[in-house]
Amino acid sequence: MRALRLMIVLITLVVLTLSAVVPALAQEQNPQQNPRDLFLFTRYPVQEATIGDPTTIRLTLGTDTTPQIVRLAVRGAPDGWDISFRGDGKVVQAVYVNPKNEASVDLRVEPPKDTAAGAYKMTVVASGETREATLPLELILKAEKETSAGLTLDVDLPTLRGSSGTTFRYNMTVKNESDQEVPVSLLAEAPRGFQVDFRFGGQSITSIPFGPNESKSLSVEVRPLPDTPAGTYDIQVLAQGGEYRATTTLAAELTGQPQLTLTTPDGRLSGEARIGEKTAIKLVVQNTGSAPARNIQLSASPPVGWTVEFEPQNIAELANGQTVEVTANIQPSNQAIAGDYVVTFSARPDEGASDSAEFRVTVLTSTLWGLVGVALIAIAVVGVGMAVMRFGRR
Amino acid sequence: MQQQPETLTLGRQREGSPWTGLWAVVAKEMADHLTSVRMLILEALIILTAAGTVYAASQSLRDGFGGDTFLFLKLFTTAREPLPAFVGFLGLLVPLLGIALAFDSVNGEFNQRTISKVLAQPIYRDALLFGKFLAGLGALALTLTSIWLLIVGMGLLRLGVPPTGEEVVRSLWFLLVTIFYGGVWLALAMLFSIVFRQPATAALASLAVWLFFTAFWGIIASLLANLLRPVPLGDPLALIDQVQLELALARISPNTLFTEVALATLNPTVRSLGLVLPIQLHNAVLGTPLPATQSMLLTWPHATGLIAATIVLFALGYVLFQRQEIRA
Repeated sequence: MRALRLMIVLITLVVLTLSAVVPALAQEQNPQQNPRDLFLFTRYPVQEATIGDPTTIRLTLGTDTTPQIVRLAVRGAPDGWDISFRGDGKVVQAVYVNPKNEASVDLRVEPPKDTAAGAYKMTVVASGETREATLPLELILKAEKETSAGLTLDVDLPTLRGSSGTTFRYNMTVKNESDQEVPVSLLAEAPRGFQVDFRFGGQSITSIPFGPNESKSLSVEVRPLPDTPAGTYDIQVLAQGGEYRATTTLAAELTGQPQLTLTTPDGRLSGEARIGEKTAIKLVVQNTGSAPARNIQLSASPPVGWTVEFEPQNIAELANGQTVEVTANIQPSNQAIAGDYVVTFSARPDEGASDSAEFRVTVLTSTLWGLVGVALIAIAVVGVGMAVMRFGRR
Repeated sequence: MQQQPETLTLGRQREGSPWTGLWAVVAKEMADHLTSVRMLILEALIILTAAGTVYAASQSLRDGFGGDTFLFLKLFTTAREPLPAFVGFLGLLVPLLGIALAFDSVNGEFNQRTISKVLAQPIYRDALLFGKFLAGLGALALTLTSIWLLIVGMGLLRLGVPPTGEEVVRSLWFLLVTIFYGGVWLALAMLFSIVFRQPATAALASLAVWLFFTAFWGIIASLLANLLRPVPLGDPLALIDQVQLELALARISPNTLFTEVALATLNPTVRSLGLVLPIQLHNAVLGTPLPATQSMLLTWPHATGLIAATIVLFALGYVLFQRQEIRA
């Protein structure tokens, strides 16, 4: 029993010791398995490139044993290719490596523009103190793609809707896709009755410079003139820079709006009215807007105690550009005093803005009391005449 | 004397026109008035006042006070320290002129014993009284018109702009009302000269009436209105009633009538004389001038009152004069 317990403890100890030692052995074995004096590799040994564009390939150099200086060269490259090694932005010929640090070098390959498309092979040779490392590379050159244009126009919402009083504001992104600096001039072709304005950063512009691959957000402001009839209008926008050009079409859907004006036939906004008598005032309602006005209500705000009646009281429909004559019958209050009062007439359609006109009414008092005065004087004169008749002496 | 009972019977036909000799009387009386020292003094007084006040007013207007409309009307109403406006003077001087022209017109004839001589001519008493009254009114009108012309002429010289048609109509209307304002006092003084035998008594009585209306009637009207229409606390309607009554009472005085006419005629922006309720001013455009015809309509009752008072006072004097014994 006692021996059995000792056995178990011993076995446990042995197992524990072994489990601690085995991984340590495994770690020590790894470098010793494959010690290299010099190694050279790249992550992407086969690359594609466009003809005329330089290609950069990143190389990694290292050693496991001795620190050394490694000279670099390329073998098998076609003639006329411009090939250089760069390290930290400088053109280099050799690299120093030591076991702890791997070194990175860029291989820059610039095939001439007239190179034919196809696969080109070359080998990078790194010569160390004791041995050489080689790395075969393959560069597949492709013909330059015909990029559509150097400029693109992109509009977020190309169709907007609004009334004739509003400003249509389109957000447009212009991109210069070429790698050149291009001044771009902007043009717009709009139908009659529209004003187009290009705005950038709050300024009105006609041309704007673009750097390579730069894009800018512009806004195109389209203002219809007030009398432009309702309808859908297309606005052509053209951006032109160097030999590149781009066009797009903006659409403005113009909903009409009635615009009423209230005045008198001769434009005179004053008149006279006698106390206690109805006076007719002719008014003219005109629709100068771009859509018909419906159900126009006529109203007035006269002084207290006055009556104002319209004939007709409302107008069912008034087409744009049309006028209609309305008669307002005003009767001043019996309490009114002679002189000027203001009566405000207004015409209000169902949709659209109303218009009002201030009319100055000169109140004239009745001449009745004047006649009464004359009658009183006449009575006094008759009285004198009667006195003469009665008391006249020879 | 024997015929007096007959004259009182109705339906009696008189021989000849009562107007016979009227124009002779008017001409003689006018000549008397215009040459009398009394008239000269008064005319000189009024003309000096007119010249002084209007010169001062035009000086003010030239300096740019008073705006740029109705400049001629402002000649009458613009006051410049220490002188009051010409209209203020007129309110005092015109009654004085009227009284001075008539306070001895009838009793003076009696006192000089000339009345029987005059009536011995083929002239009726009617014509004599009419003629005296018309001559007085004519002298008054002549004086006032010449002053009006003087003012317009001075205005033309001093202001350098001609009066507008509106201004001419308004100032002529004001002239007419002023003549009848004087006419009231003329008729009153003539009435007193018939009633009282002493010219001094007639003059004093006239002046007493004038003083009464000028100085005391306003106070009395206010007291009477307070007495007749007491206002319970917080009753605006009763207050309006009282103010209306006070105004009506005050308008018995010819002075009030004349002042109101002057106000409304010479100031075109006055739209109403008397109480104006706020409700009547709703939406009203204030400060705009009334047309001249409307101002005339506004002051028409006042003018009617003055003209009617003149005629009634004359009629009263006429009746009294006809019933008087002349051959005393």
